[in-house]
Amino acid sequence: MNILIPHHWLLEQVKTQASPQKIQEYLSLCGPSVENIVKVGKESVYNIEITTNRVDSMSVRGVARELAVILPQFDIPAKLVKNTLSFSSLKPTTRELLPLPKIRNNAKLSRRIVCIILSNIKRTPTPQWMADRLTQVGMNIHDSAIDITNYVTHELGHPIHAFDYDKIMKMGGEIIVTKARKGEHFITLDGENYQAVGGEVVFKNPKGTIIDLPAIKGTMNSAVDDTTKNILLWMESIDAEKIRFASMTHTIRTVAAQLAEKNVDPHFMEPTLVRGVQLYRELCDAKIASELYDAFPGKKPAKTVGLDLNKIHTYLGIELPISKIVTILEKLQFRVKTLKNTLHVTPPTFRQDVTIPADFIEEIARVYGYHHLPSVVMPTRIPLTKPKNTHFAAEETIKHFLADLGWQEVYTYSMVSEVLAQQSGYSLQAHAKLANPLTDDKIYLRRSLTPSLLAVIENNPQKTAFSVFELANVYQPRPNTLPDEVLRLGLASTKPYRQVRGDVEALLKKFYLPPLTVKVDEVTQHGQLMVGKTAIGTIQVEKGRSTTAQLDFHQLLPIIKTHPSFQPLPKTASVIEKFTFTLPINTAVGPIIDDLQVLDRRIKSVVLTDIYQANHTFLVEYWDSRHNLANEDVRPIRRRIVTLVEKTYRAKHVGTVQ
Amino acid sequence: MVSVSLEDLKAKIHQLEQQLQEDQVLDPQKLQTQYLGKRGLFNTLSKAIKHVSPQDKRVAGQLLNAFKTSLQTRLQQLSDQHQSTPWVDLTAPGIQPPAGHLHPISQAIEEISRIFAKIGFTRVRYPEVDWDYYAFESLNMPPNHPARDEWETFFVEGPVNKQYGKIVLTPHTSNGQVREMERLKGKPPIRMINIARCYRRQQDVTHTQMFHQFEGLVVDKGINIQHLKGTLDYFAQEFYGPGTKSRIRPFHFQFTEPSFEVDFSCHICHGTGQIGQRRCAFCKSGWHEVGGAGMVHPNVLKAGGIDSNQYTGFAFGWGVERTYTLREGLNIDDIRLLYSGDVRFLEQF
Repeated sequence: MNILIPHHWLLEQVKTQASPQKIQEYLSLCGPSVENIVKVGKESVYNIEITTNRVDSMSVRGVARELAVILPQFDIPAKLVKNTLSFSSLKPTTRELLPLPKIRNNAKLSRRIVCIILSNIKRTPTPQWMADRLTQVGMNIHDSAIDITNYVTHELGHPIHAFDYDKIMKMGGEIIVTKARKGEHFITLDGENYQAVGGEVVFKNPKGTIIDLPAIKGTMNSAVDDTTKNILLWMESIDAEKIRFASMTHTIRTVAAQLAEKNVDPHFMEPTLVRGVQLYRELCDAKIASELYDAFPGKKPAKTVGLDLNKIHTYLGIELPISKIVTILEKLQFRVKTLKNTLHVTPPTFRQDVTIPADFIEEIARVYGYHHLPSVVMPTRIPLTKPKNTHFAAEETIKHFLADLGWQEVYTYSMVSEVLAQQSGYSLQAHAKLANPLTDDKIYLRRSLTPSLLAVIENNPQKTAFSVFELANVYQPRPNTLPDEVLRLGLASTKPYRQVRGDVEALLKKFYLPPLTVKVDEVTQHGQLMVGKTAIGTIQVEKGRSTTAQLDFHQLLPIIKTHPSFQPLPKTASVIEKFTFTLPINTAVGPIIDDLQVLDRRIKSVVLTDIYQANHTFLVEYWDSRHNLANEDVRPIRRRIVTLVEKTYRAKHVGTVQ
Repeated sequence: MVSVSLEDLKAKIHQLEQQLQEDQVLDPQKLQTQYLGKRGLFNTLSKAIKHVSPQDKRVAGQLLNAFKTSLQTRLQQLSDQHQSTPWVDLTAPGIQPPAGHLHPISQAIEEISRIFAKIGFTRVRYPEVDWDYYAFESLNMPPNHPARDEWETFFVEGPVNKQYGKIVLTPHTSNGQVREMERLKGKPPIRMINIARCYRRQQDVTHTQMFHQFEGLVVDKGINIQHLKGTLDYFAQEFYGPGTKSRIRPFHFQFTEPSFEVDFSCHICHGTGQIGQRRCAFCKSGWHEVGGAGMVHPNVLKAGGIDSNQYTGFAFGWGVERTYTLREGLNIDDIRLLYSGDVRFLEQF
């Protein structure tokens, strides 16, 4: 949460000569972060981020408290203005007393309730000084009777509500703190209709009508309006979780709700209410028309925590003198007793966030200044157990190698649209789906990288030749557990099939793998990429003539190598010959090569070098490890090659065989 | 005809060799004809073999063959020396091979991994789609805790697990903390770096629904705030260059205590916010906010089976995009470009 604090409003709570720049710098180093200073007219307004655990700082007074501790650490004098706002000052100022409504609290729902009646309210325009400040902090201006509540909340940090006293009395003169039942209606003061889901803390009258959504927003039937003459100035301390539940459920995120859901300290009621009454008397000529009502059944005893000095040293790595530690804690309004090596520390009521030793250490360390601590890389043990199923070096190698071959790496979203999800070949039901997507194009967790990569190619029409790849997870849903995250290498290219396959083959060679084979599915015409008996992925030619492939990283992981097995250099020479065959139309050339390679042990390799119309040229290398091959050794193999290809594949050898 | 002895032949060969010494300044083309032409000096000499006695003929043949080879070699050398290089236009532009590019995020991740590897961090990978338990609850954030508002979390449709809760797209890499403690069965030392895709329900010029974080976690006996500072300073110097400093300021996270906001000094104005008399336009205040850090909360250690009385630890987690785009001169002002797949952007990296 952020809060805006005008410089001069702050100076009413803390006396200091520090410049806004110094305040920004030092407060940010040791306390809440001043994100920037905004100039509104001549006033410097601090934009301060207050963390969720420090609701006590969500006010001018709260920031002043921090500043009064922090500035002196930098040798700048600062003194918190003494709080003189006490309930004892609240006595009726008129003889025409009005009866308080009957209040039926449930101590489990509200820890404390305080209220007081102010009569004779004059509806005066908000004075300029108050209007200026409220404008500086981004609030709307109404009139004094309404704006006072906003003003004192901002100044002192506890929400406060003004009921129209007469409306309350007309509705039965009773305020019952209870939980709403499902389906009950209420209309907030801005005219919005709501229906309770059940469990929201509400105030009801004896007839069961909801007359307030406490600590979140007032309802129209009890709120101050143009006719209001008497006010019931009211504060409550509703269970924080229940406030959060109601505020989130109905998405009513008022300042009051954001304070109340974080356990704002009920002790802040005293100064806030007294300051409110003061302003109503000054600005609206109000009279105090009742005694103060204060019921505090949820008062909690202060908790003292034992803090081992050694623990402080463990966290800081240095030993701070005890006197220094005690001074810091006391300045933060903590009570401290020292017993041997242990400090017994009691935080003030508004510091409910400080409960365990680490919390206290944070307080000491931040005020002492993190910038005063040395900076050292830890001289501790280096762990040697590496996680299984990862090989980050191989991932890097893949990326670099493909980029060097001219492929562009892309990162596309893991979530895809309905259309892309369907292009994966899996039904929508076979996808994990987001329960709360932000946009229509990102709803399903993808099963395939291919649709995303093809979309990239499509979205770059100016590139006539384009090859892209991505190394990312696909997500396979499983019943009653997390989806299986499968790391894939996806490739998509406008290059012809053989070039893409060649790039994949070159990539596998980089990891010293045996040659790739492709098993063709006769129905789908998809190719399965095989290394030995391991299926490592798929390859296919898309309708748009792009070629795509997906390699499963976890299949590759167990078989890739970091180095080859060295083969002794050949002592004998090989013989290389060219064969050209005219093949019938649509003859698959892969099986021919496979057949030739196993035809004779002396055939070392068979390479397709050229295709011209139906003519396919192969380069065959013969080699024998024991002796150099002579023409008479090669001749019979040569004949068998021609016979095999001609007979099995109905091909015609071009040229004559010797 | 007088018979020719081997000595005569040797003398003649020697004579021709000497003559070539003197002739080598002449045009190599002419020398070729003069020495090795049909009616050249060598052929004339070789005719002498007819007059060599039969018993010396074999040796004479060898002598002549050797001489011919040396002549050929020598003349080739002379010809090579004489030949001039053809004219090449050295100002003509080069023809480049088709080079692809690593995505900038890959480049950043690689560099970050390398920097942390040097000081003993092990890179790990944990689920991107994980249980609420690992993303929140084990990190000291029970369901409905207001602190969860900071993480605009995506949920996955499906049944809720009794033990682990809902399935979420991880809104940060911190889900790796308790998972890493579990992997090591609660036995430190831990020094891990977890880099992964993260997801949040937000989208504008500085936010994308998908982004990347890197998370460091160190747990052992005697780990303190100084070690966190040391690690941050080391990273800042390695990634942004010498002289870059880090600073930590108080913050709040449920899963660390104390918690910090981490800033790096601006490497352009060196943390002063000023360049001469002018305000530094790059950082505005001398510092860049990069992310969060803190000492691991005892409850998180407990969730990971580690005794917080014996061990302490620190953790940090920042956006890769944010860390990367702070680099001087990079000038990426809309991070959505990173995931747009627009080649005009990608090919610049």
